[in-house]
This record gives sequence, structure tokens and C-alpha cells, in this order.
Amino acid sequence: MFRDSSRSRLTLLALVAAAVVLLVLDGRAGTDPVTGTARAGAELAFAPIADGVSRVTGPVATAYEGVRQGPGAAERIAELEEANAGLESELRSAELDEGRAEQLEDLLHLSGLGGYEIVPAQAITHVTSQGYEHTATLDAGTGSGVEKDMTVVNGRGLVGKVVQAGARTSTVQLATDHSSSVGARLEGSGKIGVVGGARVPGAPEADLTYELFDMEAQIEPGDRIVTLGSHEGAPFVPGVPIGTVEEVHVSPGALSRVAAIEPAVDHASLDAVGVVVGGPDDDPRDSLLPPEPDPEGDR
Amino acid sequence: MRAALTFAMVTIVVLAQTTVVNRLPFDWVAGPDLVVAAVVVVALTTGPAAAAGCGFAAGLALDALPPAEHTLGTHALLMCAAGYVVSLLYRNTGAPGGLDSRVSAWTALGVTAVTALGMGLSFAAIGLLTGDPGVDLTDAAVTVALGTLATVIASPLVVLPILWTRNAFAEIDFATVQGPMTPRGW
Repeated sequence: MFRDSSRSRLTLLALVAAAVVLLVLDGRAGTDPVTGTARAGAELAFAPIADGVSRVTGPVATAYEGVRQGPGAAERIAELEEANAGLESELRSAELDEGRAEQLEDLLHLSGLGGYEIVPAQAITHVTSQGYEHTATLDAGTGSGVEKDMTVVNGRGLVGKVVQAGARTSTVQLATDHSSSVGARLEGSGKIGVVGGARVPGAPEADLTYELFDMEAQIEPGDRIVTLGSHEGAPFVPGVPIGTVEEVHVSPGALSRVAAIEPAVDHASLDAVGVVVGGPDDDPRDSLLPPEPDPEGDR
Repeated sequence: MRAALTFAMVTIVVLAQTTVVNRLPFDWVAGPDLVVAAVVVVALTTGPAAAAGCGFAAGLALDALPPAEHTLGTHALLMCAAGYVVSLLYRNTGAPGGLDSRVSAWTALGVTAVTALGMGLSFAAIGLLTGDPGVDLTDAAVTVALGTLATVIASPLVVLPILWTRNAFAEIDFATVQGPMTPRGW
């Protein structure tokens, strides 16, 4: 019934074989020269076009925002008046915020952070066509000093890590990706655990979950979590805020405690981010430890 | 002329998919897949071998262009198979008589919807079979459904221009050809 010439079948066979060879080559660990070259070539073509699209769509996106917000202008005025009243009262609590800023600074210093060199970049794609990967493309690549396994942050905290770096663009695996896992510790107690995007069995639904290895550890909603840091700062530098504990889940018989995390960064609307390209001169590994060792010694 | 135009249009669709569609500022789980639509139209208007080649090339480009992070070759394999199967089935069952029959826009859109569904399912199946931690049954079902819907809604943008081009140039190139030959092919 399905007649087809043998030559046509041969073509299909050859193409399928080629695809399978590529799958096998790319599936192996490490960087393969064939697939690496293919990606580099594709990236060469992609970067200038993505640049052009950025230039063209910038004004369009601005105009779209303007049109979209037009009808809401009246509401906006009421909203602003309300916000103005709110701000006046907030002015009085500015001292409180100062204290918060100091705490954050302390938090960063405690982790030995500081002296990191950051390359600014912009996220230029957010979704992939099949929707299973949480990745973003940045408009900075090896030309700007971005390499694989570098930490990506924005003004609020951890965005993810670089998984591929081309000459002018790089791909970031977001912290919310299913295969992402980040070593993390609690702000106050320093208890370590793993933050991942994958769903942990029996855990509450969340973009990020924090698995704490110590069952005895005190963890409460509102606790903040920072990165633990990896050796040589790759892929994650220490002290970057990841998020706030939203809900703690204790399941009887489990080996770890699981908490749902409210990410510090809004991963759905990434724009300006920074890639940490240079670490401090000293290995920050030991400076991560708080001055007082924990008496339980469970680190 | 027809082949060159088709090549240019498919290239534009692939680039548009990666640079424009993938950067739309909406928080969807899956976006429209315009490349499937392009491959389907080419497959409906050409032979199985050429359709498979077109699918392979477009899929390989999708695999290599950022921000794809899956194994290189997945799209190439699926698109190649999709192009071949669509073309083969249409040649053997769809076109009545096969003589001078133009592919209607509705046929192309319908086949695009079915193929998009098939691609989504195969992609999810590969994820499930290889134990990709990002794919589980409920997520995959939602992703496939939404992705297919988005593709169906957006596909006329791709299907109609390419179909028109291929039909129009077939007419000019083969207007003088007489006999029982179907003016198909590149």
C-alpha cells in the first residue's frame, strides 16, 4: 500500500543513521568536537540575528506596554495616590530598611563574598519550543569572558549557571530547571542542603524546593537561603541569596526535611543579569564558615 | 527557483522560531512550533526523500541553535521521520489521483495540527523513556496539549505563505509540461 522508491528509502535510512550518530555522540559525557562545532556554528549565525531582533522589538515592546496600560490610567492614578500615602509611612520605617540592608551586607561578607567581577548581560530568550527546559539565553559570550559553569546573578539573587558559552551568546540553566541542584545553606544557622527545581516526592508544589539534610535543624517560613559555594567558585560562588522559605514539610520517616522556597529572583521575567566571571584571589572555601563552629558539628 | 525560495522560507521560519517566538514575554509552558508547520507544508508538496531531508536539516538547526539544551539530533530525527511519514501517507492515501491536485490550505493546516500533536507526544515519550527528570506524565500531557494548541493557532502564519509559494511556482515552472506527470519535487 505504501509504495515508495528504494532510493527514497535509502535516503531516509541515511538521514536516520546520521541523526542517531549525532544523538550518540552528543549523549556521551564531555564535549564532542563534532557536536561542539555544530553548536558553535549555529551560535555564530544566531548572535547577530538575535541582536537585530532585540533592536527591532525593543520599541515595539515598549509601545505594547504603553497601549496595554493606557485604559488602566485612571486606576493607576488612584493606585499612585494610595502608594504615596504608603510611601510617607514607609519613610518613617526607613531606618528599619537600613538595618535590613546591613543584614544583607553582613550575610554577604559572612560568606566571603566580595571582590567578584561581574559581566552584565541581558536575557534574550526565555522559553524553549518543547517547554521542558528552564533555560535562558544571554547576549554575552566567551568574547566578554563568560565561560561554562559560571554563576549568573541579578540584583535580587541567584539566577542559575552557564551551561553553554558561545562567542557572543551563552545559555543559562535556571535554578528552577528540573535537573538543577544548588548547594545551599540557611542564613542564620548555616545548615546545608540542596536547592533544586525538581519535584521532591511528598513535598509541596513549588518552583524551588530545599532539601535539608539535618532532621533536627530549625527551619521556619521566612528563613533566607544562600548558596553554599563550590570549590574554585564553579559553578556556584558562595553567599548569593536564593530565596525565602515559604512552607516547611515534614514527612514521617523521611531522611531529610523539605521546604518550598519562594525564589529571590523572578525567573519568568529575567532581564538584566550579571555573570560572575572572576572570583577573589583567595580560595573562599574556608571563609564561608561562620566564626563560631556549630557545636553539633553536623557540617 | 522553487527550491531556493522554499529553502529561504524554511530558514527564516527556523530563525524566527529561535529568535522571535522563543523570546515572547509570556510565561507559557510551551510555545508554538512553527518549524513543524513549515516541514509539513514542504512534505505535502514534495516526495518522501526530499521531505525527510528538509525535516532533518530544519531539526538539526533547531538542535544546534541556542537555547536548546537537549541532546543534539533529537529534533533532527523526529522532524526527519515526521517529514517522511507525512509525505509518504499523503502520496499514497491523501491525494486523489495525484494528478494536478493542489494541496488545499485546510488540508495543510489539519495535517500540521496532527503532526504537531505527534511531535509533542514523541518528544514527551523520548523524555519519559530516557528518564529525563523534567518530564512526568501530567506535565507532559499539559505541555503537549498547550504546545499543539499554540502551534495550531500560529501555524497559518507559516503554512499559508509557504504553501502559496510552492503552489505558485509549481505552476510557472511546470506549466508547459504535458502528460501524466505530477509536477512535484524540488
